[in-house]
Formats: sequence, C-alpha cells, structure tokens
Amino acid sequence: MPDLGSALWSHASLSLPGLPRALVRVAIPSLLAAALVVVGPWILDTYTLNILVRALFVAIAALTVDVLWGYSGTLTFGQSAFFGIGAYALAIGFTQFGFGPWQALMALGAAVGLAAVVAGFVGWLSFYPGSTPLYASVVSLVLPIVLVQLLYSGGTFTGSSSGLVGFESFDLSLENWFRLAGGAVLATLVIAWIALSSDAGRVLGAMRDNDERCTYLGIDTARVRIALSVVMGVVAALAGFGYVGFSGVAAPENAGFVFGTQLVVMVALGGRGSLIGAVVGALVIEVASAYLSSSLPFVWELIVGVAFVLVIVVLPGGLFGSLRDASAAMHPRLRVLLGRTLSPVSLATLERTAPAPDRDAVVVEVDSVSRHFGSLSVLSGVSFTARQGELVSIVGPNGAGKTTLIRCLADGRERSEGAVRICGQSIGRLSPDRIVGLGLGRKFQAASVFETLSVADCLRVARTRSERPSLIAASPVLALPAAARAVVESSGLAERLDQEARFLSHGLKQALELAMVLALEPQVLLLDEPTAGLTRAERQGFAAVLTDLVARERLCVLIIEHDLDFVRRISSRIILLHQGRVALDGPVAEIVDDPLIREIYTGSTRPKQAGVTP
Amino acid sequence: MITLVLDIVTTAAILFIVSAGLLVVFGVMKIINFAHASFITIGAYTALVASRFGLPPVLAPAVAFLVGGLIGAAAERIVVRQLYGRPLDAILATWGLSIVIGQLVTLGFGREVQFVPAPVSGTLAIFSEDYSSYRLLLVVAAFVIAGLFTMLLNGTRLGLSTRAVIMNENLAQGLGIDSTRVRLITFGIGCGLAAIAGALITPLASVDPNMGLSWLIGAFMLVMISGGSLPTLGLSCLVLGGLQVLASTFISPILGGLTIAVLAAVALRLRPEGFARA
Repeated sequence: MPDLGSALWSHASLSLPGLPRALVRVAIPSLLAAALVVVGPWILDTYTLNILVRALFVAIAALTVDVLWGYSGTLTFGQSAFFGIGAYALAIGFTQFGFGPWQALMALGAAVGLAAVVAGFVGWLSFYPGSTPLYASVVSLVLPIVLVQLLYSGGTFTGSSSGLVGFESFDLSLENWFRLAGGAVLATLVIAWIALSSDAGRVLGAMRDNDERCTYLGIDTARVRIALSVVMGVVAALAGFGYVGFSGVAAPENAGFVFGTQLVVMVALGGRGSLIGAVVGALVIEVASAYLSSSLPFVWELIVGVAFVLVIVVLPGGLFGSLRDASAAMHPRLRVLLGRTLSPVSLATLERTAPAPDRDAVVVEVDSVSRHFGSLSVLSGVSFTARQGELVSIVGPNGAGKTTLIRCLADGRERSEGAVRICGQSIGRLSPDRIVGLGLGRKFQAASVFETLSVADCLRVARTRSERPSLIAASPVLALPAAARAVVESSGLAERLDQEARFLSHGLKQALELAMVLALEPQVLLLDEPTAGLTRAERQGFAAVLTDLVARERLCVLIIEHDLDFVRRISSRIILLHQGRVALDGPVAEIVDDPLIREIYTGSTRPKQAGVTP
Repeated sequence: MITLVLDIVTTAAILFIVSAGLLVVFGVMKIINFAHASFITIGAYTALVASRFGLPPVLAPAVAFLVGGLIGAAAERIVVRQLYGRPLDAILATWGLSIVIGQLVTLGFGREVQFVPAPVSGTLAIFSEDYSSYRLLLVVAAFVIAGLFTMLLNGTRLGLSTRAVIMNENLAQGLGIDSTRVRLITFGIGCGLAAIAGALITPLASVDPNMGLSWLIGAFMLVMISGGSLPTLGLSCLVLGGLQVLASTFISPILGGLTIAVLAAVALRLRPEGFARA
C-alpha cells in the first residue's frame, strides 16, 4: 500500500494508547525466544544445529503461506517458487560473478526485485474483480511448475536438474548462522504479528470472511491482495536466499510444487491463522523429517500424510488453532495471551466531513438502463431520477427486475445498455468499490457481515476507505459518523462491540450491516428487502431509523420492499417495476391505490404481500 | 505431417482418458480430487500385478477400475464426505490422501521403476506412415470411455439422479434422491476411471510410485477449463493437447510441457467459468 509513511504518522498520536500494551504482549515472548536463539548453539549438537538452520529458513516461507492462506484466505501452493527465486538468485549470482560484498548485494537485490515482479504479475493474474479463490490456487500451482521447467532448461546457467553447488558463499560459523536464522524468524514473527493485529491487518480477515462485502465498502480487494502477495513473495525469496546461503546448494526441489504443498502441510498442521503455529509446524516437520527419514524412510511420510488428512477433516484450525479455542473456552484471560485482542472499545462520533450538500439535488439518474441475459431481457429501458431527502420504494412482483436494478446501480459492469449517474457522476463501467467512492452504499438482501470479526472490527473495516488504517497500531476508539452511531446504539449493538458477528441474531446482523454501510457516509443508500425476516418491533425500529436518516441527513434512500403497509408508512415516492419496465412512478397516495398495484398484489394470481424474491 | 496429426489425436486421447475421472468428480461434487494422481498410480500397479499373474492384458483396465473404484469409494466414505461444504479443504485432504496412498504403494512395491508390456505391439500403417498401434488403440479407448459415460449419464436411473444432483442438490434431496449415495458412487467411478487411465498408459510409460503426479496438473487444468462438461473436455484436450504437440515439435519439448498449464491459466483469467457454454 502506498502512502504508508504518511498514514503511519497521522495516526501515531491517535493510537499511541494502544501501543504499549501490544508491545508488552509481544516483548516478553520475543525476549524469551531471543534468549533461546542466542543460547541455542551452546546446548545443541552440530547435526541438530545444521538441521535447525534450514528448518528456520523454511519456517519463514511457511509464515508467508500462513499469512496468505490463514489470514487473507488465499490457499497458495506457489510460495515455494519465491523461495526458489531467492535461492537461485544467490546461487546463480555467486556462480557467475564469484563471492564478494557487491556480488552479495546484487544477488540480494535480484532476489527481491525478481520476486516482487513475479509476485506482482501472478497477483495481477490471480486477483481481479470477481475472481474466485480457487482460481488463485490454480495459478499458484502453475507458477512453481513453470519455474522448475525453466530451471531444468537453463543448462549450466541454472545447473538443470542437479542444481547449483560448489559456489563460494558467506563465511559464517554454524553458530552464527543459527543466530541469524533464528533472529530472522523472530523478526518476521514480530513484524507480522504487529501488522496483522493492527487496524490494517483486520482488513485481511474481512477479505477472507467476505470479499464481496469489502468491495461494496469501497475497498479495492484485488489491489490489497496483490500488494500482500508482493510482500509475501519478497519475504519468501529472502528465506530462500538465506537457505541457500547456508546450505550452499540450490536444487529445483527448493522451487517445486511438492515443496509448495509441504509448506501448506506445515501450516495446516501447526494451525492456519496462527503465526506461532506455522513456525512450530515447519520446525517440527523439518526436524522430524531429518531424523526419521533415515530410520523410517517411508513410514514417516505416511505418518505426516495421515496426520494431515486428520487435521484437515477433524481439526481445521490445526494444533494451535484448536489449542486457542480450547483455552479460550476454559480461561477467558488466557485467550488474551494466545493472540486474540480483547481491548475495550469506546465509541466516538465523527464530524460530517462531506461538504454540506444541496438539499434537493438529484443524486440518482437512471437513463434507459437495460439488462439482458442472452435473449432474456430482465430490465428494458428503465429511467427515473431520485433526489436527496427522498425515500423511494421500488415495488413489484417477483422477477420484475428489482434486485437486478440495484445491481446495475452498484456495479458498473452489470447493465447491458443505458447510463447511470450517482451524485452527478457517470458510473461508466466502474467496479463496485469505485462507485462507493461516488457516494453510494449498498446493503445486501441477506445480511452480509464479516462473520469472524467482532462488531467493532466490522465497523472499523467499513471506515477503511475514508481513513487509511494504521499498519502498526490497533485503535481502541471506534469513531463513527453520527448516523452509523445512532444505529449502533439504538439497535443494542453498542453493548456487543467485542462479540464476533457470527454470534449475532438475524436482526442484529441486519442492523450491523446497515451501520457498516452508513459508516461510509453515503449520499445514496440502496436497501434490498431490509426487513425480510425481521420481527414487527424490529421493523418499526427500522422504519424510524430510515425516516430519520432521510429527514435529518438528507440521504436519498432506494428501498426494495414487498410489504405495502411498510412502504406506505415510510416512502415519499413509489416506483412500480413490472416485467422489467417502470410501470408507475409517483407519490405514495397515488400509487398504492392504482389498479395495477391491486392487480399485481391482490389479484387472483398473487396473494397479498408476496413472499421473498430470489 | 500425418505423424503430426496422429500425434495430436493420440495425445488428446491420452489426456482425455487421464482427465475423465477428475471431470466426473468435479462436475458432480464441485470438488477437486487431488488424489486423482494416486488413483492413476493404483491403476498402473494393478496392471502390473495383473500382468505378473498372467491375466490377459485386455482385462487389466477392468480390474483396475474395480480396485480403484473400491478404494475411491472407501476414501469418499472416510474422508471426502466430511468436506463437501469446504471445497478448498477438500483439495488439501485429497492431497493428503495422495501422500498416504503414494507411501503405501512405495512400502508395498518399492521405489524402483517397473515396466508393463503392451498388449499390442508394433506399428500400423496409416496413409503409408507407420504409427504405434497401441497409441492408436488409446484413441479407441477414449471413445469407448466417453461413450460408456454418456450412456450411463443419459440412459440410466443413476444417471438421471446424478444429473439432478448436479443441477440442484437441495431440490434433488427434497425429491427423495439419496445424494450421499450419488456422491459415493460418483467418487468411486471417478477414481475407477483414474485407475483405468493408469492401467492404459503404463505400457507407454514406466511404473513408479509417483508416476501419477506428472499427469495431475495437466488433467486439473483441462478439467477447470472445460467447466465440467464431457464434450468440452474432449475439445479442450484436442486444442490444448494439439498446441502442446506443436510447441514440443517446433519450439522445444520443455515449452511443450508447459503449454497446457500456462494456456489454461490465461484462458481461465479471460473466462473464469470455463468453456462449457461456449
């Protein structure tokens, strides 16, 4: 992410109270580990040290897999390729140009540069609006295979299938290699821990839980994922660089698909989404393989295979994930130690930053929008406008094209023909996250929140677009625009700020999503059947919130609704969609008594208050 | 020229045979069976054992289908069934399964490379070009597999239930179709087809515990790009297999080895849903 420095400074003063506590929590275990790293060489024998140095470098690669898979939800088999890039950058550099400080720097630069470029390209290929997690995994599979084939065909330059060996490398004692590798793992762990538990780190969890919701909160998830891939690619390349610097051998196996899957196995066993778990998983497997593969060659791999299958099926959280869940269930205090932040959150209200808008400006202009699926025409020539301070209900029978219309407003690539302008700007073919920037907020039909994030974190993620989150600090203050705060407080979410969203009731989830969308400070709010499945009391609360928003904040609200009584109570205008066209458009009093409405809603073919649209 | 055309056709046939089982599982269950490679290996070793016992080579694929199908059904019952809601985890679990199977095969048969004699040897003259008759036989085998499968899907009660499960599993369940059973049988058939592929390709290649792996990625990419339909799979095999042969012949064998994976990845970027409805 660019502008890192400035973002960091602007938030430093705001989030300082959160810093010392976090530091203390990292500091004690890291100091203990650092002591182990320093003392280690005096206790362990040469053979074990040898294995451990390699294992530690592998552990760094495993950490990158954990961040990508466990934290951001991209299952990758391709981190081995970046490890291999680092490995071969050193081996080729030293073989071709000999060893020396300049050559070492050049090789390091090549490793970092090449890894960044490849990761950027692979990221661009894997992540685009509408990409699936499976596709990213597919690409990550292809990468190491391509790389290994290139290495095979490189002749003496890459050493082909036997790899490169016999080049002069860093002259460090085994003890110091151990300290270097241990220090590197520790540094990676601490930096990753701080970054992942910061406000920015939360966005990764949000993307893992619900990429679409992130996009509709104005976050360019593809860009975030590409940036993350680049960082993780570079880190893995550095690990490979160190690995070969120590071992003095670069082999195609270091870059291959099988090594890539082994990294995934290590993370799965240790615990995806747990940094310590990834390191422990890597160390245990590497060290045990080294010891047992000579005494029990095939049986050992068999055991790993069985354990892997068992963990995936029975304990998806891996060893440390299950440990964390179990201890959290027993001792709430232990939970804090094991990594989940449970800081008390205080609410604050943000001043409205957007310039005071024209009170009656037209903010939605829909001009002959059509949507075809093949020969099926769902919307044809739909045109209307809506002003600030209007609450427009879109009604119509199932299949009238209501949800399709909402989609065409919120995603520039949806409509087949026609033009849409939000707040005076044409949406063109913009992706949803850019349209959010024009002032549009969309609430989905089924409550769409971040299931494993706390309520406060869900709301913080919603603020990501307007305030670039800090990469190091986790703010204890939750500052929300007045409208969002009002929803949080009136719905009772304020008492549940530290609860995970998946434990909320249906009604509270709907309220949370509404608050998240309002946190964007939209000028236009799209609501798709927000009251479906709510109780009568919840509906009334919802109506009050909406009318208040329209009256006080001068929002323009477009709402899809089936309940005509509800519509009559809240709307200032009604648009009736019928067979993909605007059949009626006018004030409430005129429309509800129109014969067409009667025919559609109470006629012989439809019962009153038709059910839920698909 | 004729050799080149025959190369393309036979390569496509081999690719089709190897990927058909993966397609069946992906099409019905929407999960990717990464243990596919080890079922190819199982089939190859079944053929090896069958030839040691002096069974006629024609029977080897049938025996392989039985062995692979039974082991596959057992794997579905024990492991895969738990993971229908978690497709990415299913990839991982089946990968773990393939580690287990690979190690068991190694423990049972050793690591060394072994050979199975081809049931038909020699060459056949086509348009005055001599061509390996076994490779030509595989084209016939590919058509037989495609034909049998289409018959099974369109002509039987099981096929009807399967198609119902593919289209709408919840509705199918609501109509009293035992979708668990459909999945069990599908996974068994998919693994059985992989084993047939193993038995059929062994005379062309050698047999070793990791032999299936080299086929996995190609098969996987072909299935992804075909979007789950058998005719498109055939077409993808012909197009991508053809490009692979051309690239290996005219540019370099190494580039040829990458053709399928790279082209399929690019094609999927342009058309994420595959080419089933193209």
